[in-house]
Amino acid sequence: MHDPKYHITNKIYHVEILPPKQESTKLLEDLEIFKEKYLRVMDSGYCACITDNAMGLMAFQGHEIIEEMKLPVHPDQVMIHLNTFHTKADLDNILKSCMRLGIESLLIITGDGSDRLPKLQPSDLEETDVESVTSVELLRYIQKAYPDTFVLGVAFNPYEPEEHELEKMKRKLDAGASFIITQPIIERNAQIDRLLTEYPDIPVTVEAWMSKKLSLLSDAIGYEIPADMEYDPIATLKMLHQIYPMCGVYLSLVGFKTQYDLVKDVWK
Amino acid sequence: MKIVVCIKQVPASNDAKIDPETKRIIRDAVKSIMNPFDNYALEEGVRLREKLGGEVIALTMGPPSAEAVLREAIALGVDSGILLSDRAFGGSDTWATSYALAKAIERIGQVDLVICGKQAIDGDTAQVGPGIAAHLDWQQATYLMEIKPTDKNTILTKRLHENGYDICEVTLPAVVTVVKGINTPRVPTLKGRLASLKAEIPTWKPEDISAKTEQLGLNGSPTRVVKTEPPAPRTSSTIKIEGTPAQCAKELVRQLRLRSIV
Repeated sequence: MHDPKYHITNKIYHVEILPPKQESTKLLEDLEIFKEKYLRVMDSGYCACITDNAMGLMAFQGHEIIEEMKLPVHPDQVMIHLNTFHTKADLDNILKSCMRLGIESLLIITGDGSDRLPKLQPSDLEETDVESVTSVELLRYIQKAYPDTFVLGVAFNPYEPEEHELEKMKRKLDAGASFIITQPIIERNAQIDRLLTEYPDIPVTVEAWMSKKLSLLSDAIGYEIPADMEYDPIATLKMLHQIYPMCGVYLSLVGFKTQYDLVKDVWK
Repeated sequence: MKIVVCIKQVPASNDAKIDPETKRIIRDAVKSIMNPFDNYALEEGVRLREKLGGEVIALTMGPPSAEAVLREAIALGVDSGILLSDRAFGGSDTWATSYALAKAIERIGQVDLVICGKQAIDGDTAQVGPGIAAHLDWQQATYLMEIKPTDKNTILTKRLHENGYDICEVTLPAVVTVVKGINTPRVPTLKGRLASLKAEIPTWKPEDISAKTEQLGLNGSPTRVVKTEPPAPRTSSTIKIEGTPAQCAKELVRQLRLRSIV
């Protein structure tokens, strides 16, 4: 299995790709767009990160798209997000597919649900002391049921109360996480600074918000960013590299038409 | 086992608007979805087929656009779909609708079990399932929270009611309706969705199912909608929970449970 520090030491961006939505009325077209983005990320030597029903919006799973479209998988260049909104059978199906395809990196998150999405129950994962399944229980299950198979990462949310989030992070790391990816930031963040101090040996990747629409970021992180705030994603990306040279960078909502080629020259 | 699951395309509930003149739901302007209760019926049909073998057919009646819910059903694992669509079906009430569906089930032939959601979220009548059973003169069991096949000719059902549940043995062929808790519906896979795009969906007209046109549409419907109005907007209220964090959390969970949210 690859070392989770590999992406940072080799200056490899994590590039988020959103899979086609379940309700898409132009699925074949959307799959082609996905394929094009995925192959560009592969060609760049970066790591494609495929989300799992982001914001509770039902979408197809990364592993099934890769499988169905016969896309190439380089173990250190693909990361699948995996949340707790699955049936146990689906969860095992995803994990077994990832094994079969050679996908090693999984970002384990609690995730966002919706009326249509099932939710893992503690009994599914043989957990008896919790009322609901979070990323901690999911991590524990994967480590137990699929030992030495995956490189598991977790999310850090610098917008949650600090002590609570750090306590949760400790439980995530105890459960087997070996790398951390933060929620999107657009400037220096004191909680991330503290995270880096407390866990100097754990690879941390900061998420750079690459969309010009800050209102979307407000929705994602749950607090208001002034709508009239001027925002330059590329300048912010450069700034984040300066502030956090020891961290990797995850590009969320990067524009493949206009931004992607510009981004390639930023981290050298 | 040969299973037919009856499904319906309905307006997404939050978007429903009513034409003030015709008193009917304006379907063109709103997003359409599969009736949520039908998801449970489909899932149950697919699970029974996975256990016992056989075939699951999704059946719906509606405008040509209702084909979309049949494709969704195929993506969810049913083997095929049939659309009943013709002007003659338009304006059918639950009696005429269940007559048309029953005639289609007769045309399909050799059906062991018909599964419906307990009701559609647009009409909320819960009459179509029992209506199909009446037209076919088959046994029926409604509001099921469990279906267990016992042998080739019978199923054991757990039937939900206000004071608990009944265990009923039902002889096949039968019509059943199912409630939300019966299963956790699966999410369509990409493979299933792609297969659904290629599926051929036959459209049947009254003559294809040997239906009498005088028993269809408005002519065949004993029910007349006199007036339909959107419900009054819900009044919201705020509860302030006070106490220690632990007390607040406990009370919050209690309040959410009272409202069946968790």
